Amino acid sequence: MPSFSDASSLILWQAATSATPLVLAGYGELVAQRAGVINVGIEGVMLMGAICAFAAATLTGSAAAGLLAAAAVGLLIAALFAAVTTWCRADQVVTGTAINLLAAGASATLYTMLRDHPAATNGEAPFFDRITIPLVDGIPLIGHALANQYALSYVVAFAGLLLWYLLRRTRLGLVITALGDAPDAADAAGIRVRWWRTACVLFAGLCAGLAGSFLSIMALHGFTINMTDGRGFLVLALVIFGRWSLPGLVLGTLLFGILDGVQTTLASMPGATTHFPPSLFAMLPYAATLIALAMLTRSSAGPVHMGRPWPAE
Amino acid sequence: MKQLLTQLALVLVSIAAAIVLIMLGLYACGYPAHRILTLWAGGAIATRFDIAVSLKIACPLMLTGLAAGIAFRCGVINIGAEGQSLIGALAAAAFATAVAPSLPSSVAIPLALLAAILAGAAWAAIAALLDRYRGVPVVLSTILLNFIALQCVKIMLEGPTGPLKDPLTGVPQSRLLPAAYHLPLLPPATGMSSLHIGIFVALAAALIAWLIQSRTTFGFELRVTGLNPTAARLAGIPVAARQLSVMLLSGGLAGLAGAIQLLGITHILGISQPGIGYAGIAVALLGRLHPAGIILAALFFGMLDNGATNVEISRYGLPHDTADIVKGIIVLCILVGAAYISRHGIIAKER
Repeated sequence: MPSFSDASSLILWQAATSATPLVLAGYGELVAQRAGVINVGIEGVMLMGAICAFAAATLTGSAAAGLLAAAAVGLLIAALFAAVTTWCRADQVVTGTAINLLAAGASATLYTMLRDHPAATNGEAPFFDRITIPLVDGIPLIGHALANQYALSYVVAFAGLLLWYLLRRTRLGLVITALGDAPDAADAAGIRVRWWRTACVLFAGLCAGLAGSFLSIMALHGFTINMTDGRGFLVLALVIFGRWSLPGLVLGTLLFGILDGVQTTLASMPGATTHFPPSLFAMLPYAATLIALAMLTRSSAGPVHMGRPWPAE
Repeated sequence: MKQLLTQLALVLVSIAAAIVLIMLGLYACGYPAHRILTLWAGGAIATRFDIAVSLKIACPLMLTGLAAGIAFRCGVINIGAEGQSLIGALAAAAFATAVAPSLPSSVAIPLALLAAILAGAAWAAIAALLDRYRGVPVVLSTILLNFIALQCVKIMLEGPTGPLKDPLTGVPQSRLLPAAYHLPLLPPATGMSSLHIGIFVALAAALIAWLIQSRTTFGFELRVTGLNPTAARLAGIPVAARQLSVMLLSGGLAGLAGAIQLLGITHILGISQPGIGYAGIAVALLGRLHPAGIILAALFFGMLDNGATNVEISRYGLPHDTADIVKGIIVLCILVGAAYISRHGIIAKER
């Protein structure tokens, strides 16, 4: 059995990796929800990002092309979502559900088509690997987690600081919040509500697409059917759990990542699962979010106009 | 009449658009789309056997479609049919394997279905009560409850501690249901002996849903609540109570769907996501939230799924999931079309 500090260091390392796609997709969903648009289809966008990244990387032989493809398909689906909800005023949750259905079908179909393609059978497709930062690696406990991640993880960390600054300290952040809390006031102030909401939805699509690529061409090398496995829904839950604040989202996700790491470690110990079903752990983030939602008072229950089309009739 | 025609046109145009789009996609990927379409249609309806299979697939979709439809019409966006049907199936499985495994068929099946209805309704009640007393939006709580429901089923079926797990296998699944709990099949004389009698349960449920919605004061109040909650409240309709009761109805229908699938087809409860809840939302929208429309839409989806299997086993080998693309496109087309119709006053306001 590994020593306690070794195990903790490993759990943190694992947590940081598994948190990366959740945090990245969370940035987008956070911005969209603050702007008044809830995109339940984020699961589908991540799934499409994963398959398109894998497909493009395989066909072109370049991992960077995979990243581009994931970004492009994320933007594309987001444009579709924005057109249907923001401009045609269809129900956001139902549209998101339709997008999930579409993405589940499309990703499985693309994957099957790709499997028979000659490029897919000629050895392994290109992938991104972990990078190591030499000195940081030596720090006890957290060093391993901080110094051995994918380049995208570091980008996500810095993007988070930037986004936090944008949301908290700039006019842009104020505009985004106004879109969701007081769209009529924003409109009266000369802000084009639907265009800005579209921009926020596009940003969310970009983030979710890239988050999907993290799964298929970074953390795991390859695509499997339904590989997102509810991560998109988890992101929705984490955004709400963090009460629509960026630090809340990041902390919640890391906490979840650590719990998840503890669960896998516990499950690997002999005799551990006989007394504790692992599914109880798997239920935890969803149950915690539901409880957090129930504890919120009505006045702080998120962006006032979330889920509602604008203008109201 | 004009309303009916408009709705019909919307549905047909959406289906046509989806078929055209999927064909273009297939051509673009180098597949002979017209041949695939023929295979697809053939697999769905070519023989009586195929029709029976299509009906069999449609059966739970009718019930989850009704579940979504009745809630949507009342303005309650219940996305939780997936979880409610899982809990329904779990209750039926628990009743059949653990509570009363030796009942005669005539009592066993109705009681198991009743258990499923109550369990589904209870699961939906969690979301309804959280909405009413804590202001948690139903759309969010039902999505979360779907995941919690799946984990509940897993806890009951996994590992040495799972109370309902079949001890004879390492696979996380329940024992085979006692034979008394298997839904009877149609007589061989009909040529559809693979179809179970659950289809009549689904049709009866649709009839009852229609009667409630269009022939009772209660149903009228549900519709008014859906169209304009503020006006409903001013007219003295207890809006919150109606929204709660529609969630119970919706959850009960979804629970029934899960049990029908278990008693009619699988006979063993497993840990896979059935997917019938999410598909039910699409069915309800395609059926324009009307019980008769929902039955037809479920039939169409059943044929779509069944035909897709025929394409999958053909030499083109497209996966079964291609049907989901068609479903997704249809729903998006319907959403856009319905928005266009209500916007441009072809009908003043839906219903």
